[in-house]
Amino acid sequence: MIEPAVSVQNLTKIFPIPFRRTKLVAVRGLNLEVASGQVYGLLGPNGSGKSTTLKIILGLISPTTGGSKIFGRDSREVRSREAVGFLPENPYFYKYLTGEETLRFYGKLCGIRGHELRTRTDELLDLVGLRDARARRLGGYSKGMLQRIGLAQALVQEPKLLVLDEPTAGVDPAGSSEIRDLILDLKRRGITVLLSSHLLAQVQEICDRVGILAHGVLVREGRVEDLLAIENQTELILENATPELLAQITTLLGRSNARLVAQRQPQTTLERLFLEATSAPPHQE
Amino acid sequence: MKTPGHRPFSLSRVAAITGNTFTELVRLKIFYFLLLFALLLIGNSAFMASLSFQQEFQVLKDVSLGAMSIFTSLLAIVATAQLLPRDVEDRTIYTILAKPVRRYEYLLGKLAGVLLLLAISLLAMSALFLAVLFIREHMLINATLRETAGLRPAQVQEAVRSLQASAFNANLLPGIVIIYLKASLLASLTLFISTFATSNIFTIVVMVFIYFIGHLQSTAREYWLQQHGGGWLAKTFVALVTLAFPDLQLFNLIDDIVAGTAIPMAFFAQTAVLGCVYTSIYFFFAWVAFHGKEL
Amino acid sequence: MTRGAILLLLLLAFGALRLPIESALAQQHRSAHFHEAELGLGLREQIGQLGFLAALSGFRSLVADVVFIRAHVAWERTQWGRVLLLFREATTLQPRSILFWDMAAWHMAWNASVAALHDPAQPNDLLRRKAQREYVALGKDFLERGIKNNPDRPKLYESLARLYKEKLNNHAAAARCYAKAAALPGAPEYDKRFAAYELSSAPGQEREAHKALRSLYDRGEHERLPTLLTRLKFLEHELNIPLDQRIAEPAK
Repeated sequence: MIEPAVSVQNLTKIFPIPFRRTKLVAVRGLNLEVASGQVYGLLGPNGSGKSTTLKIILGLISPTTGGSKIFGRDSREVRSREAVGFLPENPYFYKYLTGEETLRFYGKLCGIRGHELRTRTDELLDLVGLRDARARRLGGYSKGMLQRIGLAQALVQEPKLLVLDEPTAGVDPAGSSEIRDLILDLKRRGITVLLSSHLLAQVQEICDRVGILAHGVLVREGRVEDLLAIENQTELILENATPELLAQITTLLGRSNARLVAQRQPQTTLERLFLEATSAPPHQE
Repeated sequence: MKTPGHRPFSLSRVAAITGNTFTELVRLKIFYFLLLFALLLIGNSAFMASLSFQQEFQVLKDVSLGAMSIFTSLLAIVATAQLLPRDVEDRTIYTILAKPVRRYEYLLGKLAGVLLLLAISLLAMSALFLAVLFIREHMLINATLRETAGLRPAQVQEAVRSLQASAFNANLLPGIVIIYLKASLLASLTLFISTFATSNIFTIVVMVFIYFIGHLQSTAREYWLQQHGGGWLAKTFVALVTLAFPDLQLFNLIDDIVAGTAIPMAFFAQTAVLGCVYTSIYFFFAWVAFHGKEL
Repeated sequence: MTRGAILLLLLLAFGALRLPIESALAQQHRSAHFHEAELGLGLREQIGQLGFLAALSGFRSLVADVVFIRAHVAWERTQWGRVLLLFREATTLQPRSILFWDMAAWHMAWNASVAALHDPAQPNDLLRRKAQREYVALGKDFLERGIKNNPDRPKLYESLARLYKEKLNNHAAAARCYAKAAALPGAPEYDKRFAAYELSSAPGQEREAHKALRSLYDRGEHERLPTLLTRLKFLEHELNIPLDQRIAEPAK
């Protein structure tokens, strides 16, 4: 069996609130597995525990109970991070560095140097389309450009897993579609992607699997198609159907206890599912 | 899997962070304060015209070394205080620690960047100061030689020697090293404070407070050790001040050096070792505070 | 919270560990200083709150310099009382500065005393002389305290010798001061000579003076300066030294 890219077991994270008796449960009993080669979307409203989960997976904070592994290696080990690239939400990199210097800096952190570092930097600048802006300081980059340099930075050591926290937040539609294309491109190259988002339409387009978090609990999880299927409904998509045929079907329907819901495609959206799943009352402590 | 990054400590990772921190500080145009120092030196020389040469040299040395001490100390505090908060605020720290970088490597890189900046600043200031001292000394010697043209060579030599003695003193150099070590201590302590501080203003205020208390710590220590009277409250307070604050007065050798006191090399060495120990211990504390910190 | 407690304990433990080391170092520091500047209440009133704070935080020398320059200005305006007070502050703040002690004594014993002697505001000659003596005594006091603070430096002994010689006409004491200066490391060559000259002017010490001058003379040509030869000849004559033991007539 292939090692999953990410596996989170029974993860709970409780933040003590200073000077108060109460505690904040950010994540509760979370189990999650991201298979190698997948694009996995972690969805949830603000404050649902997405970022906390990602930070625990990256070893930036430690779990209260339970644990997480990256390719079988505990997240608390520094070595687990060799195979991961991370792009945080709304990142600001060092404004005083140029795009090229930024990539060189992160490359050196991963132990790349010399000729290898130079070619890798060039490759990445091409990949994210920032070749022309390489000598400009990041202080002068647009939001979309920052997001792209962030992505390049995350990819610098050719990681097998890419973790993206709200990769398209605050980016204009053209920019976010570029990022979407990049993610699909990476998937084709066999890189596992774990991303969090609240922009559901985009997630729907690129994710193989999604998990929906609400109040720190995973409320839905599965393949996108499965989650979107409405189980007690059947969709007939007919081609070249004559009005007579449709009339016959309607007659047949009238005789059965089935009901015609709509004559056009009765598709739910991920959005509706999302709202349904996350509007449940919060767990009582 | 790639081989690099497997080692528990990588000098090249630390060097990358050091270089980056140094670049950050340089591009923040921190070196501009050196202009202020140059102005101070020039202004000082112009102002001293009415004094005798001994007075002039003493004031020049006091002002320059005093300014070097305060500038490096301030620079150490201000430059270090904003390093961690800025990275946390901009979330750059996530991108760095999400790489195979250990937290002590990150901290060490940051501290080393500041220490590099301090070293270069202090070297620049020392060069400027010694150059002014050298030029003034030679101007005065030439003037003296002209004035004493008719006198016996032994007397002229005596005069020149006396001039030289009041200008440059070999003890100045270890004195400058001690200034550097005091600034390193402060940088390391600032890094420690900034690991749990809520803002860089908080860190700076705390550090200025420590700076003043640190110069009085020896008074508290003596008071405590000599078992003076006083209530338990006063005693506990004095004991806490003694144990918690560094003794910065010990690193204040320049006053005596300028006054011409011969300071034994062993004393310099002990003070230097103490400075290094302080810097290392405070760095260790910074790591203890930082290594399990929730980011 | 627990990590905070551990850190606090570590911090205090470090404090306890370095306590004996720093205490010993400070002791050494102090023995090099002899007398640490006492930053008492009196001084705080004199130099003001800001200056006091600066003095406490490692800028003692700078504050002392500022006070010294103010004393210099007061001298230019011949405000002698102010000169005295400001020099007391400067020397208290920076007792290791030879310059401060020396200048303070010079202003008192040479400048202020002469000014007092010719003070047009004081018609009584007796009182003018009394003021003059007091200023000389103040100068002597500065030098003596300076020596107490810096017993290892020849400069202040030399100044005190000069004061004894020129202001108090006490050549024996001047000779003793020069001799003390000469015995210290780094003393100039002439201190020994000056000690012998002064001795030769002290009544009742002619024998010792002759011995000292003669031993200098015997050191070689470089010591045989005109003053030395004159004083030696004078003493040989005074003491009736046998002719064969006298020094040679200087070459014509």
